[in-house]
Amino acid sequence: MKQNYFLAKWLNKEITEAELLKHISDDELRSYKKIIAATSLLETPIYNVEEALLKLKIAHKNSKVRKLNIIPQFYKVAAVLALLLTSYYFISNKNTSYSTQLAEKINFELPDNSKVNLNADSEITFKSKNWENKRELNLKGEAYFSVKKGSKFTVNTNLGSVSVLGTHFNVLARDAYFEVFCYEGLVSVHYKNETIKVPAGSSFKVLNSKPEFSENITETNPSWLQNNSSFKSVPYKYVIKEIERQYNIEVTYDKSYADTLFTGTFTHTNLNTALKAICIPLNFNFTIFSENKVSIKVQ
Amino acid sequence: MKDKNNTDYCDEKKFSDFFLNHSKLLHNFIYYKCGNFDMANDLVQDSFLKFWNNCHKIIPGKAKAFLFTIANNLFLNEYSKTKVVLNFKSTLPKNITNESPEFILEEKEFGVKLQKAIASLTEAQRIAFLMNRIDGKKYKEIAEILGISVKAVEKRIHNALVSLRNEIENI
Repeated sequence: MKQNYFLAKWLNKEITEAELLKHISDDELRSYKKIIAATSLLETPIYNVEEALLKLKIAHKNSKVRKLNIIPQFYKVAAVLALLLTSYYFISNKNTSYSTQLAEKINFELPDNSKVNLNADSEITFKSKNWENKRELNLKGEAYFSVKKGSKFTVNTNLGSVSVLGTHFNVLARDAYFEVFCYEGLVSVHYKNETIKVPAGSSFKVLNSKPEFSENITETNPSWLQNNSSFKSVPYKYVIKEIERQYNIEVTYDKSYADTLFTGTFTHTNLNTALKAICIPLNFNFTIFSENKVSIKVQ
Repeated sequence: MKDKNNTDYCDEKKFSDFFLNHSKLLHNFIYYKCGNFDMANDLVQDSFLKFWNNCHKIIPGKAKAFLFTIANNLFLNEYSKTKVVLNFKSTLPKNITNESPEFILEEKEFGVKLQKAIASLTEAQRIAFLMNRIDGKKYKEIAEILGISVKAVEKRIHNALVSLRNEIENI
């Protein structure tokens, strides 16, 4: 049976009131009329179309901007990756470095467990990455190496380089003073395109570009490891510099004695004793002015 | 209808015209659903935004139905379970002369009853009925917007009137 929506038809003026009254009572008609009349007066809250359009356009612009941001999103990821890669590159290739201050000595181990003793005011830098295959480091100052057997081990200095396969040796490179002591095994020293083999118990010394080779060293390790500094025919200025380094002091002395050769030893533990040790052989007197100022004069 | 000829809704001018012509009705449509003015504002904006972003996909002549479908879907996705509390402004006709206090009170009471009754209609009935009563839309146009037959619109309006009368008389 076809449904007859007479109320809707009547509301839409498709049927007359008389026709509608066939379906409903007079009372009902009155109620419906009242409802219809009341609903035709209803209004929804005021909605500002123009304002809404303006807001929408702003929102649309912003949403467009967001769309464009998809590309920078990619760049963001790329930038972060690039940053990570470069920082990884730098970190992995970063030089490891150890250095000492005046009056300071340290010892440490290299990645292959080779031992290094670093004397005062010295510095060692090396790349810890790929160390096993390329054992190479740079030295400024003085250091004693106790090298594990393995691939070629190279110490580069401003004055020359030293390579070994595994041994104990001391390298000193300060100013124009370059000295290599070999205590065990065999050491090759590269100095001005020359290669000098330094066997155990020997030393190679370069002073003011004059190479010198000496044998018959009885010590088994450098004296500075026992808190002594030993010199054998070394210009006095290097002795003064060494005592300045070991005690963190300033020494004034007669510069005409700068190149006088000195042979002897001073301790790192007592300044008075040490000063006596370097003054008495040359008939000098010393005065300690303040904590770190010393004057050495001819008697 | 005039938007039958306008296929390119991406054009800002055409889009603006479309917005000015239909946003009030869409706003009311959502308001009939949820009775929340601010929510209607937001949904109108979201719907038109979606409409604009998909302006290339719009089939000529179906723009309006598409817009209302978007709005309906957004409503279903986000807001469907909110309680309906409608709040209509009721203007009393100015030409009524016998404004005795009793009459005004009665009218007020009736107005309150009517609003409650409208709120208790089913959503489908309410939308069809109010689109006709408040927005003055013909059954055919309502059918088009809601994507239903005219007969279905008639049914909803007929049933809306029946249940309104029952509600008001029972309160």
